[in-house]
Amino acid sequence: MTDEGQWIAAARDGDKAAFGHLVEVYQGPIYNLAYRMLGNGPEAEDAAQEAFVRAYKYLKSYDPERPFSTWLFSIASHYCIDQLRRRRIDWLPLEEEIAEPVRLASVSPNPEAVVTKRDREAWIQALMGALSPTDRAAITLHYWYDCSYTEIADVLDLTVSAVKSRLYRARRALAEQMEGEAYAM
Amino acid sequence: MRCKKATELMMARLDDQLDYQSALLLDEHLEACSGCRAEWRRMYALDSLFRSAPTISAPLNLRVQITRRINRRERARRIVVGSLTLALGTTTLALLSLIPIALGFAANLGVAPALLIGGVETASQLLTLLDAVARLIIVLLDHFAVPFIVVSMGSLALAVLLNGLWITAMRRLHIAG
Repeated sequence: MTDEGQWIAAARDGDKAAFGHLVEVYQGPIYNLAYRMLGNGPEAEDAAQEAFVRAYKYLKSYDPERPFSTWLFSIASHYCIDQLRRRRIDWLPLEEEIAEPVRLASVSPNPEAVVTKRDREAWIQALMGALSPTDRAAITLHYWYDCSYTEIADVLDLTVSAVKSRLYRARRALAEQMEGEAYAM
Repeated sequence: MRCKKATELMMARLDDQLDYQSALLLDEHLEACSGCRAEWRRMYALDSLFRSAPTISAPLNLRVQITRRINRRERARRIVVGSLTLALGTTTLALLSLIPIALGFAANLGVAPALLIGGVETASQLLTLLDAVARLIIVLLDHFAVPFIVVSMGSLALAVLLNGLWITAMRRLHIAG
């Protein structure tokens, strides 16, 4: 059994030190996931804490046949999705965005030049903010964790085709928004 | 190639899942279709931006905060479970010590026989039994009043003692947590 497998088994028996090892390994990825989804540090920290508390609470229901990271990402993603839905941000549905694409000029601007004018991080988070909670989770898992379609489907309880469709729509919406903002500069 | 197919191939290329032959077909289409070329430029720019974004590091004290939160939740859970157990235990013991007295009163007031008139058969039998027990207790009380009071008070004292032990155990669990 791997170290991780031993820590999980011990943590399931109530060994807090073993669970501490798991926290040590996964706190970075879980915090980053929460930050990318929620867009700010304090909320991301709270979400990461809550994800680990829930993981500890429901550890006995964890299926060892499933990758622990997928299980943990699933808990964190769903918690962040719930938080985003509670915010009730009046984000524009993607269908409308796709139906009304940004008008293109004859010559495209250089996106890299735009990025240097703005804070790259803030821009990425602003772009992410236009996505629905589930699409935000899919994009985060895709770009920051190199998750395959199957892994994303597993984390978000979606079908593989639904993941492909969501990623396509989300990327297209993001690209159009990105270009639209570039023209607004 | 249709633009819809080209879009699928663009996505595959961004995800490094495009074979050589399909890549050639896509390039041919992009040469000929200005709309798809613009789409590809947008998608590629987005992909570059997001792939260059770093992973945000967790705060240094995150692990400590998580441990604290887990301990806090466990303490809260123990307090709730402990309080419920305490309340249930106290109520049960108190009721046990009061049952003989209540039965004695019921027998003396004739409540039990009155209930028998309109009750269903099972309830009637039960109440008859209780009535008999109550009468027996009355008889016993006449002869053993002092020992009976001692038993009742003992039950209450036992309830108080168990409460004390429970609270002590909870405090120790708090300290250990």
